[in-house]
Amino acid sequence: MKIFEVLQALDRRYIYLVVALAIIVPLMIPYNSDVVTTPPTENLYQLIDSYAGRSDKAILVSFNHDAATMPELFPMEVAIIRHCFERKIKLFTVSFLAAGAPIIDYAINSVKEEYPDIQSGVHYCNFGYKIMPMITALGMGDNIATTIDTDAEGRKLATLPIMKDIVNYNEMNLIIETSGSTAGGVWITYARAKFGANVAVGVTAVMAADMYPYLQSGQLIGMLTGLKGAAEYEKLVDVFAAYRDDYFPTGRPFSKEILRDESVKKLINITTQTQAAFTPEEYNSITDK
Amino acid sequence: MKKNIPLAIVMIGGLIWVLWVFIPHKILSEDFMYKFYIPWVYVQFPFGVILGVLSLIMMHKTKIQRKAPKWQYSFFALGGIAITCIAGFGWGNQNGSPMMWMFTNMQMPMSSTMFSLLAFYIASAAYKAFRARSPEATVLLLAAVVVMMAQVPFGLKISRHLPDISQWILDVPNNAAKRGIVFGLGLGGVATSLKILLGIERSYLGGGD
Repeated sequence: MKIFEVLQALDRRYIYLVVALAIIVPLMIPYNSDVVTTPPTENLYQLIDSYAGRSDKAILVSFNHDAATMPELFPMEVAIIRHCFERKIKLFTVSFLAAGAPIIDYAINSVKEEYPDIQSGVHYCNFGYKIMPMITALGMGDNIATTIDTDAEGRKLATLPIMKDIVNYNEMNLIIETSGSTAGGVWITYARAKFGANVAVGVTAVMAADMYPYLQSGQLIGMLTGLKGAAEYEKLVDVFAAYRDDYFPTGRPFSKEILRDESVKKLINITTQTQAAFTPEEYNSITDK
Repeated sequence: MKKNIPLAIVMIGGLIWVLWVFIPHKILSEDFMYKFYIPWVYVQFPFGVILGVLSLIMMHKTKIQRKAPKWQYSFFALGGIAITCIAGFGWGNQNGSPMMWMFTNMQMPMSSTMFSLLAFYIASAAYKAFRARSPEATVLLLAAVVVMMAQVPFGLKISRHLPDISQWILDVPNNAAKRGIVFGLGLGGVATSLKILLGIERSYLGGGD
């Protein structure tokens, strides 16, 4: 019993020291860990990927946070944008916080360098900072172009090429809210309940428990949880969409090579890509494992 | 009059929203919502911003004038507002602008640092709070350890089943408790809304009666 009393009486400075070491040591000594993807991440990836190359489908990412929660949320935002650019998925971005608007620019610019052919207004459109999430969520259910009117660059939304075939939530059928709070509830209450839009969230790890009831009830189609969720999504994007290294500078082909990777084999059911260069027998032998 | 008119506005306004939810008629869902309510909200919002900025400036001005405790920091707050406004209005927030420079080199690191300090406080608080003093506290402690370990790669090295166990804890006991809280909040919200709509709850009007 004495040991517990001693531990409980431990000065908080020692606890701070342990936390500091737990942060510093892995940074100093890189630790190549295996990331196991979870169903909430896989479901989100699958839905986004199913919009690939379609002009009548789009996703909206709502950056509802400021710089404080960027270490956890920014990697997942970048991974989603990268996925969209890689697979030619129409992407819209918005922020209901003034401090969130520069994060959108920062995230898009970080990814855009890799994709010189991606154009603003054609492949993606940043709505910028907008007020009143509830009003905007309801308005977009009727007509996106009339609710938002102009994008962050001041261009009339209705005149942009990206808006071709996109009217309301029937087309912009997935909303992803990244925040350090339960702000995603607005989309669940208005966009999902009233218009049937699919909603997913990317939240900081401490907020995940609050969102689980909505995930289990199906009101959220997916969820990225903190840095772990971001790492899972990055892995899926790297495996199936945007893997680049010295051997594959323009991206690894989705073919037999990728399937030989042990860590990839069990993920094969996740992708919706159909350009795989393997036979049906090979596919079955992999999925049966 | 001073009491009845605001009361009537609240009751009628609230009632319109109740009808809007339950009666999907064109007058409510299109004419009221898109032609009347949304434009009014957009008009009202800038006034709120002006009010907020003026209130902030006046508060810090008074603090400096009265030399209230830590009044020197008010100069930083006012200076921050002024510089950010000049940078934003002057050059916009495009990549490479002064605003974005300040955002990436000042706001981002400072905000992230403040937020990351939470890790230390949470670790310290959790260490003190998670004591295995009773069977209930022990269950809480074990659940917390399992969920935390499953969230980090190191947990996988201990057991490949840890994520499944963690998922069960989150899906079943956690959800049960969360749903209870959400239902409670929802019922409380409905009860309070009804009391306001029916004029039973009037504390928002101010005054004592």
